[in-house]
This record gives sequence, structure tokens and C-alpha cells, in this order.
Amino acid sequence: MGFLSAFASWLGMKKKDVNVVVLGLDNSGKTTIITKLKPAEARTQDIVPTVGFNVEKFQTKALAFTAFDMSGQGRYRNLWEHYYRECHGVIFVIDSSDKLRMMVAKDELTLMLENADIKMKRIPILFFANKMDVRDSLSSVKCSNMLELEKIRDKPWHICNSNALTGEGLEEGINWLTDQVKDILTQKKK
Amino acid sequence: MMKRDKKEEEEGGANPFYNLEKSSVLQEARTFNETPINTRKCCHILTKILYLINQGEHIGTMEATETFFAMTKLFQSKDLTLRRMVYLCIKEMAYIAEDVIIVTSCLTKDMTGREDQFRAPAIRALCRITDTTMLQSIERYMKQAIVDKVHSVSSAALTSSLHLAKTSPDVVKRWVNEAQEAVNSDNIMVQHHALGLLYHIRKNDKLAVTKLVNKYTRHSLKSPYAYCLLIRIACKLLEEDNAGPMFEFIESCLRHKSEMVIYEAAHAIVNMKNTTAKELAPAVSVLQLFCSSPKPTLRFAAVRTLNKVAMKHPAAVTACNLDLENLITDVNRSIATLAITTLLKTGSESSVDRLMKQISSFMSEISDEFKIVVVQAIRSLCLKFPRKHSIMMTFLSSMLRDEGGFEYKRAIVDTIIGILEENSEAKEAGLAHLCEFIEDCEHTVLATRILHLLGKEGPRTPQPAKYIRFIYNRVILEDAPVRAAAVSALAKFGAHCDELLPSIMVLLQRVQLDMDDEVRDRATFYLNILAQHQKALNSAFILNSLQVSIVGLERALHHYTMEPTETPFDLKSVPLATQPLQELSKPIMEASSGPKSTEKAAASRQDVYAEQLASVPELANLGPLFKSSSLPVELTESETEYMVRCIKHTFPHHLVFQFDCTNTLNDQVLENVTVQMENTDDFEVIRSVPAASLVYEKPGTTYTLVRLPEDPTQVTTTFTCTLKFIVKDCDPNTGEADEEGYEDEYVLEDLEVTVSDHVQKVVKPNFAASWEEVGASNELEDTYALASMKSIDEAVKSIIQFMGLQACERSDKVPDDKSSHTLYLAGVFRGGHDVLVRAKLAFSEGVTMQITVRSTDAYASEVLASAVG
Repeated sequence: MGFLSAFASWLGMKKKDVNVVVLGLDNSGKTTIITKLKPAEARTQDIVPTVGFNVEKFQTKALAFTAFDMSGQGRYRNLWEHYYRECHGVIFVIDSSDKLRMMVAKDELTLMLENADIKMKRIPILFFANKMDVRDSLSSVKCSNMLELEKIRDKPWHICNSNALTGEGLEEGINWLTDQVKDILTQKKK
Repeated sequence: MMKRDKKEEEEGGANPFYNLEKSSVLQEARTFNETPINTRKCCHILTKILYLINQGEHIGTMEATETFFAMTKLFQSKDLTLRRMVYLCIKEMAYIAEDVIIVTSCLTKDMTGREDQFRAPAIRALCRITDTTMLQSIERYMKQAIVDKVHSVSSAALTSSLHLAKTSPDVVKRWVNEAQEAVNSDNIMVQHHALGLLYHIRKNDKLAVTKLVNKYTRHSLKSPYAYCLLIRIACKLLEEDNAGPMFEFIESCLRHKSEMVIYEAAHAIVNMKNTTAKELAPAVSVLQLFCSSPKPTLRFAAVRTLNKVAMKHPAAVTACNLDLENLITDVNRSIATLAITTLLKTGSESSVDRLMKQISSFMSEISDEFKIVVVQAIRSLCLKFPRKHSIMMTFLSSMLRDEGGFEYKRAIVDTIIGILEENSEAKEAGLAHLCEFIEDCEHTVLATRILHLLGKEGPRTPQPAKYIRFIYNRVILEDAPVRAAAVSALAKFGAHCDELLPSIMVLLQRVQLDMDDEVRDRATFYLNILAQHQKALNSAFILNSLQVSIVGLERALHHYTMEPTETPFDLKSVPLATQPLQELSKPIMEASSGPKSTEKAAASRQDVYAEQLASVPELANLGPLFKSSSLPVELTESETEYMVRCIKHTFPHHLVFQFDCTNTLNDQVLENVTVQMENTDDFEVIRSVPAASLVYEKPGTTYTLVRLPEDPTQVTTTFTCTLKFIVKDCDPNTGEADEEGYEDEYVLEDLEVTVSDHVQKVVKPNFAASWEEVGASNELEDTYALASMKSIDEAVKSIIQFMGLQACERSDKVPDDKSSHTLYLAGVFRGGHDVLVRAKLAFSEGVTMQITVRSTDAYASEVLASAVG
């Protein structure tokens, strides 16, 4: 860290860097959400199925996020675990219009929570019940029931409806995540 | 400061990565997981990983995968250097780690992103990790990248496509339109790469390639690199068939403005298989111009190419002699050496002395490789000007005395041996030089080889006694293999020269006290044989070596020990070594490494046949295979419906004809194929082994077994042959044959059995001794007038071919200016009888021949004596 940046962080001007992983089944809208969170001029135009992962950066009022946007396709899901170790938070995206695969999403979620790198840590998990604009989509409450989110007791979690195409609901979720991560960071310092 | 530097150098510390350890580096790689990223540290670790991989360190799949995934986290950094290091690492680890496709999206993003610095390396890394199944998903980006306006991106995409074409040619083929567009780029590298890809896509379609070349020869390309490539493509086309305009194009390139293109064109013309002197002239004159260029690379390229041309067309290079002379004093030693060796190849006899002097002035300054080039040039020079051998010999011997590696020394020894075998006048001087060399020779292989040569040639020189000292010195001073070789050489002197025999006996008695078993055994063996004072024994066991093939002997002995019998092992049942000496003498002159491989192949060829025949049950129990004819006889014209070639195998009382048949019709399947043989003499056809079926272009083999007549003098005959088979029509595409077939036959050419089929060539290194050994009991003598022969040389060749015997003592080489010559031939007749022939030839309007045949068998003598008739 150079002198200038050290000076900046001492003044509290520089935002703290945090890592989050973005998980969820394929076609749930992970890349779209992350793209929407970036400033307008940095967005890419077309969004194609991710192969492997993407690294994206975006900022909120208090934190600078580095998001590992993982591929949701079946053959790459076992590669998620490589990115758990250093993360400060998880964003889990659910396609709320895809009732059929809700059970698959639940399995993946359980698998993630069982992972050694996640299990022992108290890290916040943010759920986006995405695609709320689609007709017949499930509400956030229904989603959380189907995924049995109430069973998660050792970690703070939050679920909110979202529409990544318009950006609706994203801010609410990210603000919650920012507060949680900040809390945990300050607790650690003490 | 200076002191520290020096110390570091002593410890080999100039390389900071000298003491890297794999496990600690991989441990360090965990730093990649930290946030925020320490750019400089990560770069350093990546360098270490790259270093380890490039040193050939093996990294396990598990470790590699872990490191790889840690590395993927570095994609969050935007640092230019770090990112490019990551690309490099991805490429290196692509085949070591698992799940490397995880970075596909990251790389795709980089290759389409705004940062031009990232795009080209990202494309290269992406293409490395992508397999055929994944290629579809990035195809769109690749197509865009090929026609990108940034040159580096376009070039990277094109070269990566070339690599991808190895694994997934079908996908890459679809990018032909983009490649075509890229050829029109104004960047020289892009144009070159695009043309390369375009050619690669169309490589297998000859018509398309011709069109491609025609198109781009007409509207001129900007890039000299692309031009060079075009010349190479045109050359390939020319090799396949002689198309006129292609050559004109290459020739026109000689007048191109870029030196690179001019050189490429000249190089291409020079390397074509059959260029005439007229076609060669412009290329050579261009190279001549390059010889006086101020650029050393051009001079080197020109002189190197001229050196190659000089081997094939020395006359064409003569024109450049003046320029080459100037290059002799070139500051660049490589250029000077090549210039001199070229001159040696093209120069006249008078200039040899001067050139040799010139070379010796800087021989000590050039590397071993170039020294070998010089030695080879001297060798060919000696063949060309035999009278100059004394200068060459002195030169070679002074080179032998200098420092040098094994390859270098071997080249010199090979050359000296070659010279003294070719040129009898040089023999004594050559032997003296070699004697001096082995006095201080650290290479066992060379020492044993020279000792063997001394044993062979030494006894026949006017003063054999003077070599004894050199040989016996070896017995006292050297290690076991050399001592053993020296003992063998001593014994040969004893066997050949009666006046030296007592002294040799004394020396051998001393050697009997040697520490090494082999040396002692040899000494005892030779001593006992020499003590018998019998010429025949000397000849069989000392002067002439083992005649059987080593592989065959090994197999026969193994067989014998596996099945214990009362009868003693019979050496005559072992197949004789086939001597490919006739073909062998030529490659020796050209390259010293060549003959070894051919000899080995030829020696085992007969053993291969023996094994093949033994596996056919109908042909078992015929006894040991005596001889297989070396070249197959063609019984059909080439390019007919069916091709049949015959190889004759001779057994003690039978002949086996092996017919290799090929069906060249793709709409027919032949079944039950046999060759019917008929003849009028007492040769009896016993049975034939059919080939079950002959499919298109797949050779099959049928055998016919013939019993030889009772009368041992009747050995020659002619068979009429007919190919008989059942034809079934079949679909050319699927190869499925109809159920129904009909019988058919095909007339083949007549097959002759000659005397040479009953005789195996054998080398008798000492013919005179063998001649005495066989004795005069079965001697036959006759005189013939060979009116049709124009020269002694011609007569010698046809006698050798007709009798199928081996010429000994180099008597097959006839001196030019002599009108009489004696030919010595040796061989073994079917049944294991030694046959020796001495033919005295005299030339005066046709050749007169007096032939004397000696053999251990009376009938064999008779057959051989009547062979020439």
C-alpha cells in the first residue's frame, strides 16, 4: 500500500474493500444484477451465459465490493467452493418464476451452507427473489418458505424481491448487505 | 559492491530463482487469496511458478488446480503487468490443472473489452484452454477478433485459430471469410498470419490452393512475410506436379524489392528436386550478390545455401568462386568456414593446397560442428582428387592431434579409414597416422575400430613388423575392451606372416596372464590355434570372422537350449548374415551415420522373413531358411488391376515363392487367391497356400511350395504363373461384397529361378587364406569369351549379379587404366557348402574370362562353373 492510499484510509476517505460471491442457478439473473449495480458507463451491452466466473467491482456509500459472479450452469457449480474462503458475504439469486427448479436451488443452498469455509463463519447471506416482474412469480415470503430459510440460524440473512432489468429492489438488498458487512468488520476490529 | 557481485557469481547466485523449491512456491501462491491484492508480490510469485514449470518441475494435478484457482482471484486487479502474468500462467497451467475453463468468461470479457493491452494475450490464453465442445460459445468473438482493426488482436486471433485447427478443424474452417478479409489488411504481420490460416484451411484441397496462389500472385501482397509463405506454398505445389506459372512466379520473386523474399525464392529454387542448370543460374547469381552484402546474416544465408547447392550442382556454384574467396577472410568464422568448404567442393585440383593452408590457419578457432563440416568436405575432396591424398593425410593427422570431442574425432577417423580403403597408395601413411593416434586416444570405440583395421590391413603391408609395437603397447596400457581388440589384431599378424609367428606366440603367452577374462580367453584361443600351424584353421578362426547373422544365431541357440537333444548344435542351420555391402559403400561416402542403420535393417530382414514363414503351418518343417531374394520381382506391370510381386525363399530341398498381391480395384473383392505355377523341368509344385480375401488396397500374401529336383546340378528353370481367384463385386463406398462370385484368372509374367537364388553372399576378409582352406579337391576351371561386354567393369558387374556371390578384397572395383583384372568372389551354396570363385579377366575387343571354382562340394562347383554360359 502506497503512502497516498495509507493517508487516504487514515482520513477515512478510502472505502474498505470487501469480497462477495454471487451464486444461484443458471438463468436466474446473477450477471444482470451485478451489471445493474455498476455505474452506467461501465456496463456491457449484451449478457450471455457465464462460463466459469466474472469479476466485477461496484461501490456503495461505505464499501467497495468485488463480486465474484459465478456461473450457474450445472457443470460449473462444483467450482463455487473455490471462492468461499475469502468472501465477506454471499448474494444468492433465485429465479422466482421457476417453481420447478426451486428444489434444485434449495439443494445447492444446503450444499453451500454445509461447506467448511462457510459453515463456521458468520457471514451475511442476501437472497434476491429475482424476476418479480414475470407473471406468476412467487413472492419473497413464498420463496423463503420453499427454501426453508428460517432454518438458517447462525447467519444473518435477508430476502427481497427484485427486478434486475429495471433495478427495482436491488438497492434495498445491497444496503442491507453493506450494513451487515460493516457491522461484522467493526466487531472484528474490537 | 564489486566484491559482493563476484561472490554471488561464484555461488551461481546470478540467477535469483536458482534455489527455488516447488512446495514453498505453491505455499506462497496462497497470497493470491488475500484482499486487497499486493500486486508486486503476486507478480513475483507468478514469475516463480512460470520458472518452475519451464524448468520441467512436475506439478501434481491437485496442487496445480489449487494454485490455478487461487490465481483466478487475481482477475480482480486491473494492474497491467499482473494481468499479463496471469495470462501467461493460465497458458502454462492449461494442461496441468483441472477445470481451467473457469476463466473462460473472464478472458472473453478481456478480449472484447476496452483495454487493447489485454485483448491479444487474452485471446491466446482463451484459445489454449478451450476445447472443441466449448469452442462454439466463443466462435462469435473469435470471428470478430480476426477482423479487428487493432493489428495485435487480429494477429493473435489468427495464430490462435491455427493452433485450434489442430483439434477442431471443422469449426475453424467456418472462419474462412474472416481470414480472407484479414489478408487484405495493411499490416504486414496480420497479412502473413491470415494467409497462413487461409492456406491451412484449404491445405487438403489442391484446386483451392492453386487458386489461392494464383489470386495472390496477381494482386501483389504488401507483406514480405506473406510473400515468403506464398513461395513456400507454390514450392509444395510444384513438388506435386510441375505447373509452369508457379515456377515463373517464384522466379519473378527474385526481383522483389525485399531481401527476405529474394532469398526465400532463391532458396526455394535451389532446393527443388529437379532443377536444370538454366533454372538454377538466376538463383545462384542472386546468392552471389548477397555474398558481398554488408549484412552478416545475408552473407551467412547465401554461403550456406551455396554450400548445399555445391553438393548437387558444383558446376553452378563455380561462377561464385571469386566471391567465396573473398569470404574466406570474413570476420565471422561461420561464414568463412562455409565459404572454404564450398570452395573445396567446387574448386579445381590446383587450388586445393592453398585452401588447405587457409583452413589450418583458423581451425583452432571454430567450433566442433563446423570442424566436422570441414572434415566431410575433405573426405569428398579426397574421392575427387585421389592424388592429393598426401596433403589431406597430413592435415587430418594434425587435426587428430588437436583437442576435440568424440563426434569430431570419429569424423576424422572415418575419413582416414575411408581414404585408405579407397586409395591403396594412401594406405601406409594412413595406417601410420592412425597408429600414432591410438597411442593417445581416450575413446574406446575408436581405438578398437582402429585396432581391427590394423589387424586386417597391417599384415599385408611390406613391413608388418613395425605395427606390432603399437598394438602391443595397447595390451600393456589400455583398458579391457581395447586390450581384447589388440589381442585379436596380434593373432591376425601371427596367422598371416610366418616370419612374425614366433614373436607373436611369445607376446600372446604373456597376455595369458592378463587380469581380464575376455582378454585371457582370446589369447589362449589364438595361441592354441596358431600352435597347430595349419593354414585352414588360421583362415577359419582367425582371419575370417563369423558368417552367420547375429540375430539368427541368438534365436537358434535359444531354440536349441529350449529343446534339449542328443545331437550337437549345427552352426550350418543358422541363417547367414546378408551382406548389403554393395549398397553400403555409397552411403559411407556421403554420411558417416547412414550405413549403420541400413546394415542393421538388412541384417534382420531375413530373420523377419524366417519368422513370417514359420508362422504358416503348411510351410513348417522345411528346415532352416537359407536365403530370401533381396528385391521383390514384379510379375505385373505397375498400375494394372492387380499388382503381384514375388520374393523367393530358398530352403535346403524346397523353394517357397511368396506372392504379395494388391487389388487396386475398389469395386471388387477377391477371394481364395492363389498363384498357379507350371513348368517343364523336374521341379514339382507341392502345394499352395491361398490368401483368403483381397480387399481394395490391402496387400495379401499367398505362398507356393516347390520341391527341388533330385539331381543336384539342376538348379535353374522358368515357371509360367497365373493368378487364380474368385471375384465378388462390391460397393466401393461401404466395401460390402455380393454373395455371388465367379472364378477368374489373370496371367502373370514368367518367373525365373537362377543360380543366384541358391547362393548366399559371404564376405571373406582374407580371400587367399580361404582359398587355401577350401583346397583344390573340387576345383573346376574353364575359359569363356564374353563378347558382348564393352569393358571389364561391366563384365565384373554382370558376373557378380549372375552368380550372386560377394566380391572380396574390393576386387569389384576395377582400376580405370588396366586391361586385365582378377575378381575374387565368395559365398555359400544351398546346403552350407563354401564356394569360392576366382575369375581372371582380360580385355581386348570383348572380355575373356578364365574362371576357377573351388568348393567343399563337388556339385556346387559344377553348378557355379556352368552358371556363366
